[in-house]
Amino acid sequence: MNEFTRSESGLHVPKKKVTRRSMLAAMGGAATVPMLYGCGVGTGGGGNDAGSANGAGEVTGSFDWKALKGQSIKILQTPHPYQQAFQPLLKEFTELTGIEVQADLVAEADYFTKLNTELAGKTGAHDVFMTGAYFIWQYGPPGWMEDLKPWIENSAATSDEYDFEDIYEGLRTSTRWDFEKGSELGTGGQWAIPWGFETNVVAYNKKEFDARGIALPDTFDDFIQLANDLTDRSQNRYGVAFRGSKSWATIHPGFMTQFTREGAKDYTADGKTYTAAMNSDKAVDFTKKWVDLAKSAGPTSWTTYDYPQCTGDLGNGNAMMVYDADSATYPKQKAGASAQAGNLAWYPGPAGPDGSYATNLWTWSLAMNAASKKKQAAWLFIQWATGKEAMNKATASTFADPVRASVFDGSFKQTLGDFPGYLETFEKVIDSTKIQFTPQTKFFETTEDWAVALQDIYSGADAKSRLDELAKANTTKINA
Amino acid sequence: MATTVGGRTPSQETSRGRGPVRRVPAWRRGLRPYLLSVPAVLLIIGILYAFFYGVYYTVLNYAATNPAPTFVGLDNYRSVLGDPLFWRSAGTTLLYAVAATGLETVLGVAIALLLNRSTLIGKTFERLLILPLMIAPVIAGVIWKLMFNPQFGVLNHVLGLGSTFDWLSKDRALASTILVDVWIYTPFVAILVLAGIRSLPKEPFEASDVDGANWFYMFRRLMLPMMWPYILVAVIFRFMDCLKVFDAVYVLTAGGPGVATTTLQIGAFEDSITNLNYSRGSTYMFLLWIIVFITARYLVSVLGKAQRRAAGAGA
Repeated sequence: MNEFTRSESGLHVPKKKVTRRSMLAAMGGAATVPMLYGCGVGTGGGGNDAGSANGAGEVTGSFDWKALKGQSIKILQTPHPYQQAFQPLLKEFTELTGIEVQADLVAEADYFTKLNTELAGKTGAHDVFMTGAYFIWQYGPPGWMEDLKPWIENSAATSDEYDFEDIYEGLRTSTRWDFEKGSELGTGGQWAIPWGFETNVVAYNKKEFDARGIALPDTFDDFIQLANDLTDRSQNRYGVAFRGSKSWATIHPGFMTQFTREGAKDYTADGKTYTAAMNSDKAVDFTKKWVDLAKSAGPTSWTTYDYPQCTGDLGNGNAMMVYDADSATYPKQKAGASAQAGNLAWYPGPAGPDGSYATNLWTWSLAMNAASKKKQAAWLFIQWATGKEAMNKATASTFADPVRASVFDGSFKQTLGDFPGYLETFEKVIDSTKIQFTPQTKFFETTEDWAVALQDIYSGADAKSRLDELAKANTTKINA
Repeated sequence: MATTVGGRTPSQETSRGRGPVRRVPAWRRGLRPYLLSVPAVLLIIGILYAFFYGVYYTVLNYAATNPAPTFVGLDNYRSVLGDPLFWRSAGTTLLYAVAATGLETVLGVAIALLLNRSTLIGKTFERLLILPLMIAPVIAGVIWKLMFNPQFGVLNHVLGLGSTFDWLSKDRALASTILVDVWIYTPFVAILVLAGIRSLPKEPFEASDVDGANWFYMFRRLMLPMMWPYILVAVIFRFMDCLKVFDAVYVLTAGGPGVATTTLQIGAFEDSITNLNYSRGSTYMFLLWIIVFITARYLVSVLGKAQRRAAGAGA
């Protein structure tokens, strides 16, 4: 260390010794301040504090689309057919309101990771985001989502023409919950507005079925038999594709639909206490059949299969049937979209023993970030995107299924001429289509564990004992 | 007496023979070392801030469902260490790290020895070898997942395995993920070792050649001891990386089937991001950090010994 006193040369000499170590200590001390601050902000500041005061009450006067002309908002989306159908229409929203929209896209595989992280950080970086109904159960309790019910009910914020009741009732209730254990969906706030939705049914290769004179099976046992009969591994052809990856998303489409039709339930509730029921006799019997079906007539690498692989195999002609979302198989029928385009058709899938066509649904919805600084502009966007006019235009592209009865019965039906059975299937299941899961805040953890159990059974574990183990663990988790 | 600064007189410090001498105030010269170290200090603070913040989470019960956390002491550690899945994940991670690092080292050294010969093929392969390293592990995972697909993947087709051989079944998934790791990172080991081989002194080899030593003798008694530090550096890098493996494995199997390929990082990801249980996920990560830290310390001490031994061998 250089250590000076005033020298003959006149150099300035520090009188107090400052060592590198003391400098480092000082900087370290300074660093403690933001560290402590960060600790306080990052954890103690949770709950409903971050911009969560509902903004609807601040909007007064008469409704005006141009009220926030000149503002800009950011929306977070995943590159999905719904998003793609709306992307060209965004400029119409800007023309209508004078609000610029910046749409940021994140691939679906990473979308919820990004969204989880952003919402937990409470930065309000995106004002509006796409979400599924199940995610409300996780994002709602910490106060990350704006309750949209006050916005809908405020005539200064919402156009008279909006007609919220035009959205199918099952979808409106699926996006409402009060987050109380034992409560049904349809209680509490309106945390998101349904945008597009999917029923989980069977798409099949009609050309092959017609050529062989195959009748569509009505029972699950007949369905299994048919899938096995259609399987010819030497020709790289198999009976039915459905999801099998290690994800909650493996449970919710075909599995949960047929699980419910066969009379099984995920949980039983006694007041505020749940008991996992995925190990009931009916559930074990069905699960065994489902996993055996995956082995004998499913894709070889079933444990890695998500919907793109399933629908890809249907489109390529490898899979003869797919039990998944109707909107996931729908694009494969569009001219030029797949090798089997024009050869596909739809039917509800096998009924339950009592004739049930209970169907699980997924709805992509639009939600408002509670930490948004531009809530009124965000609401105008949500209102426009879920409104009749924009949705009617989107159905001309890849938007299926629209959530509004008027749009479905109007412009959407006209697009279904080349989709044999699609409309009939929809009409058959729509009245019994709802979220078949018990709403609960540990949904993703417990449902992914359910998928892990299916994979274990697929890999040789005994179904009954593995499901008993799962039920015991999930009962503990869900009641914690 | 003239005051010197860093061994120079002030006039030397400020004059390059152009015009009058400008004296830099001593306080500025005294400040210079601190200013130069500011970027490094800020970087360290940034790292330590995140680190200690993460450690702080481990003694809370912070989760999305509990956004107003309280202090819970060592409950998270008891919960994680008492969870059989943690130990299973630790075992899987260790097996993955040992197998992947071992294979990459053996293959990397072999490739480096082959490429050391200055032939046209060697030079061409040397350049092609780097290609897998230029692909992000996530992308490599996606590519390999497509290649592994029994229905339309190229591997089953080329190897004549038909559509029934599942590379990612419970029995084969871990081996397949290791295969992908070996594909990506063997070139890294090969390039590092090749650079080491080319920096070795020629004299000991020439002397051995004159004395009539055969190739294997020279490799075993001269080349291997001298290049051992380079091999160890590669081993340290790869082993540390393998203990933290996430990306390619997650893309390929998401830790499945069941928990067959669930590594510690994937377990931490599931707790933190999927289940939004930040405190439990942080505990997972901190325990992983302890494992990596202890392993790194051990391997670095081994490296130090090897370097001293190699210096002796080369002398």
